[in-house]
Formats: sequence, C-alpha cells, structure tokens
Amino acid sequence: MLQVKEGDFDRMGLIFERHHRAVYGFIFHMIGNREESEDIVQNLFLRMLNYRNSFAGTGSFKTWMYHLARNLLSDYFKKNSKKPYMYSVENFDEKITEEYFGDIEKKQELQTLQMAMENLSIDNRELLMLCRYEELKYHEIADLLGITEGAVKVRVHRALSQLKSCYLKIAN
Amino acid sequence: MECENYKQQIDLMVMGSLNQSMLADLKKHLENCADCRMELEATKKTWIMIGELPVPVPSESLRTGFHEMLTKFKKEEGQATKKSTITQGKLIEPKFTRRWTQYAAAIILLMIGVGAGYLINHSTPPVSAYNKKIDSLASEMSSMKQMMMLSLLENPSASERIRAVGYTDQMITVNNKVVEALLTTLNQDPNTNVRLITLDALAKLSKSPVVREGLVQSITKQESPLVQSAIADLMVKLREKKSVKPLQKLLQKKDLNEMVKTKIEESIQKLI
Repeated sequence: MLQVKEGDFDRMGLIFERHHRAVYGFIFHMIGNREESEDIVQNLFLRMLNYRNSFAGTGSFKTWMYHLARNLLSDYFKKNSKKPYMYSVENFDEKITEEYFGDIEKKQELQTLQMAMENLSIDNRELLMLCRYEELKYHEIADLLGITEGAVKVRVHRALSQLKSCYLKIAN
Repeated sequence: MECENYKQQIDLMVMGSLNQSMLADLKKHLENCADCRMELEATKKTWIMIGELPVPVPSESLRTGFHEMLTKFKKEEGQATKKSTITQGKLIEPKFTRRWTQYAAAIILLMIGVGAGYLINHSTPPVSAYNKKIDSLASEMSSMKQMMMLSLLENPSASERIRAVGYTDQMITVNNKVVEALLTTLNQDPNTNVRLITLDALAKLSKSPVVREGLVQSITKQESPLVQSAIADLMVKLREKKSVKPLQKLLQKKDLNEMVKTKIEESIQKLI
C-alpha cells in the first residue's frame, strides 16, 4: 500500500487479488446480500485509493482496510436501517452442498450456526467475524474499534456465549 | 469453584485468552468433570465452525468493475497531477456501481452493434475509422487482461494462478513482460499443475526466440518428473537442437526418475 501511496497504482491490482475474497466474506456475513456486498467491496477499493494518504504504514494494513470497510458498512446500515438481514439461503444451500457433499450432519450444523449468527446483534456478529473468520489478532481488533485488548476479549467472550445459547435454542 | 465458573473459563481457553495459572486449574478440573469436557468440545466445535461458514464466490463483474475503476482512477489522477490539485483527482464512489456499469456496457454494445451493422451495409470510407475504433477497443481489452494476468500470477492460490496463465490465450499480442512472468512461473512456481499449464502456454508462443531460449534454460531447473517429461516432449516437437546439452545434463541428476530417464534418452536420440 505504501507503493500505491507513492503513485504506483498498478500495485492496487495485487492488493485487490490478495484481499478482495476475505473482505467480501466479511461484508457478505454482515449484510447477507451478494450483489450489495460486491458494490461495497468495489467502493472500498476506490476509497483505499482516494484515502491512500491516511495509511501511515505504522499500523497493520489489514486494520486500516477493515477500518474503511466498517465505515462503508456504517453508511450502508444508515441508509438501509429498515432493510432486514437477508442471508441468501439458496446460495448457502448450493455452496454447502458442494463443500460438504455426503456430510449431512456437518451441513445441518453449519446451517444452524448461520441461523444463530443471524440472531446476534450486528456488533456481536462483527466481532466474531473479525476474530474467527478474518482471523484478526485481538490487538488489531482493539486498534480497529478504538478500545483496549482486554475489552475486546470480554466482548468476544460475550458474543461467543450468546452465539452458543442461540445455537442450542435453534438446535433443540 | 463451580462448573458454571469453569464454563466461562472454557470460552476463554478456546479463544486463546486464558492466563497460564487459570489454564492449569481448568485442565485439572477437566480431568475429573465429564460435563465440562463436553462443554469444551462443543465450544471448540462452534469456534471452528464460525471460520467455516460458507461465502459465495464473488462474480467476475467485481474484478472487471475494479479494473475499470482503477483505469479511470489512474486517468483522473494523471489529470489532477497536471492541475496540481490532489482533491480534484478523487473519484466519486458510485452508489449503484453495478447498474451504472451494466447500463454503460449495454450502451457500448448497442453502439458497436449499430456501428457494425452500418458498416456491413455501407462499405464506404468510414469503415477504416470504425475498424480502428474496434481495434483500439480490442487492444484495450488485451492490455487489461495482461494486467489482470500479472497480478493474478502472484496469488497464493494455485487455481487462481492457473486462471492467470489461461489469460495468455485471450491476449492479442504478448509482450516481454508477460513472457518473463510466464518463464518465472515455469521455473519457480511450487505447484506442478501450474508449471505444466505454463509450459503449455509457452509452447503456443514458441515462435518467439526469447521463449525458446527461456524453455531451453528451464530444462535443468525442473524437479518434477511430470514437468521434466513434458518439457522433453516439447523440445522434440519443436526440434530444438539447443536442448540436447541441457537434457544430457538433466540425465546426470542422481535422483532422476527411471521413466523420465528413458524418455529423455529417447528424446535426445530423436533430436540428434
């Protein structure tokens, strides 16, 4: 990103290839809509170019990227406050059948977990996604949210407990 | 301590944020408590599954849209630098990128269709102008493919790198940068399948002396029996006599596969 900042914009193609799948996964799990997630990802890379001077190079690139992604998500939620979270079940079924062909139990467990995730608040879902799905370190999440590492651990713990209880309710 | 308290610690243990002294205490408790052991397994499973939740693959239009945006940005940025005003170079984030690009693509296609129809019916002097436009569009597409290919070749996923190599077929002209990237992939890629696909792509470009030279030099750098065998076949097909020496050198390798050894000996015989 530092090279992009210095004017080597072709490097942005490489950054896109390395990160677009992961950040798309994060956004998709936050809003549950495939096409709108793609629009947000595209706007994110444009924002990275426009705000390249805000990347100091002292912190992690991932933290900076997710900071911009969260801002775009916040804009999205403001504009679509009444829009329900609609995880596309068709796509989920298609994907899950493809990956866990023959493993019906695993497929059911993942579907239940997805339903439990949908019952979580946006904040809790975001925390679990950043921590587990994106595999950001606790200190990176702390930087991103502007809170202490200890506070991140407490919040992740609460989100995990809530997820487990939702999962059990749905499973039973 | 009661099980309820230990259950909280189990979450922290799975999250990797339980301190050493508490961890030792919890492990001791787990040895004697079947309920807590079950809780640990369930929590571990949930924690792992969060990372396994499926996500659909983004459509190809995301990549195309990104490259269109990047090209536009570079153009605008160039103009902004000339005006010495950085803020003017900022592109406005489209609210409906997808629809906008779809409309634009539809209009362009319609214009090309109308233009082509007109040209077919009226073979008058403007034909060359339209042809030039179509040629320039095709060459823009080709350079876009080239850019995508070069960036995809550095992708950690082998299937993405295979896709990158596949773009070579869609390029009108292949420049030195692409040839260099393909030869580097052939010599250094850790995945045998990627190397084999790259060898195929280079075989199609074998009219170029640079490619031929690169292929000859690559012979001794190959470790995989499959690639060694494929490259020997290619040398025979191309009747490349310069490859005899490197093939002989390859024969001297101690760990050379027996089948490959026979194949190379046969290839040398055919080439001499």
